[in-house]
Amino acid sequence: MRYPRALLEILTVLSLAALGLGATKAHAVPSFARQTGMACEACHTVFPELTHFGRMFKANAFTLDNLKQVRDIDATKQEMLSLASLPPLSVMFQISDTWLNSPLPDGTGGPGHSQTSTVGFPQQFSLFYAGKVAPHLGAMIQVTYANDSGTFGIDNTDVRFANNIVLPQETSLIYGVTVNNNPTVSDLWNSTPAWGFPYAGSNAVVSPLAGTEIDGALAQDVAGLAVYAMWNESLYGEIGAYRSAKQGVTNPLTGAAGPLDGTVSNVISGAAPYARVAYEYQWRRHDIEIGLYGADFKLYPGGGTATAPALLSGPSNEFKDLAEDVQYQYIGDQHIFSLAATRIHENMHLDASFAAGAVNNPSDDLTTTRFVATYYYKRKWGGSVSHFQTTGSTDAGLYPNGPAPGVLTSANGSPDTRGWILEANYLPWLNTKLSLQYITYNQFNGGNTNYDGFGRNASGNGSTYLLLWLAF
Amino acid sequence: MKIQLLISLGATSLLGFSIAQALEIDATTQAAAQRVAIGTCATCHGPHGHSYSSKFPVLAAQQPNYLVAQLQAFKSQTRGDPDALGYMWGMAAPLDDAMMAGLADYYSRQTPQAGPAEDPTLIARGKDIYQNGDPAHGIPPCGACHGPGAVGTDAYPRLAGQHVPYLIKQLRSFQNNMRNVAVMHGVARGLEVADMEAVANYLQSLGP
Repeated sequence: MRYPRALLEILTVLSLAALGLGATKAHAVPSFARQTGMACEACHTVFPELTHFGRMFKANAFTLDNLKQVRDIDATKQEMLSLASLPPLSVMFQISDTWLNSPLPDGTGGPGHSQTSTVGFPQQFSLFYAGKVAPHLGAMIQVTYANDSGTFGIDNTDVRFANNIVLPQETSLIYGVTVNNNPTVSDLWNSTPAWGFPYAGSNAVVSPLAGTEIDGALAQDVAGLAVYAMWNESLYGEIGAYRSAKQGVTNPLTGAAGPLDGTVSNVISGAAPYARVAYEYQWRRHDIEIGLYGADFKLYPGGGTATAPALLSGPSNEFKDLAEDVQYQYIGDQHIFSLAATRIHENMHLDASFAAGAVNNPSDDLTTTRFVATYYYKRKWGGSVSHFQTTGSTDAGLYPNGPAPGVLTSANGSPDTRGWILEANYLPWLNTKLSLQYITYNQFNGGNTNYDGFGRNASGNGSTYLLLWLAF
Repeated sequence: MKIQLLISLGATSLLGFSIAQALEIDATTQAAAQRVAIGTCATCHGPHGHSYSSKFPVLAAQQPNYLVAQLQAFKSQTRGDPDALGYMWGMAAPLDDAMMAGLADYYSRQTPQAGPAEDPTLIARGKDIYQNGDPAHGIPPCGACHGPGAVGTDAYPRLAGQHVPYLIKQLRSFQNNMRNVAVMHGVARGLEVADMEAVANYLQSLGP
């Protein structure tokens, strides 16, 4: 069976989106501790979840620096250089083993079974430059080796400028600019996709087809510029736009990195607007945040070849994402408890794909809801319970049945997926985490049993994941 | 405008505080300190020094010489309770004498508030210990050094309006010498947990 090119591109997008569930995220950054001289607990409940102090450290562009500085000033005492005497470098190293509940078929559908246990050594290995670059200017730049690609590549990156001023009644105003490569990576709370739970996941599992664009589908393949402000450490607003900045793509005519052309898939038309508003309230040892975030992505399917060209103009597929989120934290001396939840609703207007016959409906919708509750005792023992759910309109073009056996397909054209994540953690030291994570699916790509039409059940895609996460 | 403030420098006394030396805080330092206090310190210590979380002490109306002495102890890494290591050793590292004086001046000028008064029986017991001590257990009256209203004097800190959990944590730190202050080690050594809770509840309930 031959699939239209546009369909394959849609599948590519969806697969990338689906990776949002299982993709590695990272990120505790010990270089921040080295720079500030403060222990992990100042910025994190348990890494990578941020405390209020950690959020303010990020909003202030990672520039709080208590190291001895190499300095220079001009004749008016204007600061020309303030450089830490040591670079804020750190390492993240993850070793894992993953067991799938049901083994996958060999290759593209042979009768044999692949291994059920996949060792990742390393599953992920990241190098960070994370800290102050200059007065008011900081960066968190992550370069990651992943065992599925066997290569190093750029990971989440956030370069930001920030300043703060004192307003009347002695309230504070932080304002700044961020340049980053993943929508929501600039966010301050752990209820939004880029820094949300699960903080680490196996890359040796089967991920569902459907996911919204803002939920990691465009991570590292876009560049965003946004301005933000935070009043009185409570009211936060951010507005910006993202443009495609694909990694690993060359222009076939020039052999150079660009310009992007119609051979590239899912290129943003112009710039996609992104906005975020949140309010955080603290009382005693409690902290609650509620917020909204959203973006409007118009993507050209692209994906053409020299013999079958595609245009980066004309109709596009529009993905309008609007999300609510809430986060609650209780940070006691012995007990730490947190809740985080988000609901992302996506309206799709698939003009380009519908015209190409790649989808059945001109418009579809998708809603992803995630909830996580986490508890830690003395920052040493803890665990999380999370429920996730994605539901949406049925579209057999968008969520197709595939060549036998499917695994990553849907027999009924439904994206509906729901399940639970249970995670237990032990931290012998604050920068070392041993995790056991179990994922179970009640529904996968629209079905509980035989969801792919070839006998595979949703529960078969459940997994057990043992992870050693070192951050130093 | 220049403000004269007594700044603790040099050798320590029984409480770990020091011989005072006059430093001038000029308007530039005052403004810089205000910005640091509001832009950085307030993230934990709250607006105007009224912290939300009892993990972090209330600093409003604190005695300036005590604040300077603590900042110096953090910077020199001689104060060794867990939150000092985890937070303040780093935060105090880049502070020079002028900024310490400016921050101490800023917080000493903030308006104090009473904390919650939750248990009248406990508060009454705490008031008795604070004012009269517990001679049978060798505990002197706290007010002898910290003043009748627990507002502190010079190098002796203000305790009025302070969070209960913070006060208890400090008393335990004195007990086990994580905060190595001889006079407070002597005072706290005989305190039972119930006594600590009583005194702390009384102190938290005190206003300006």
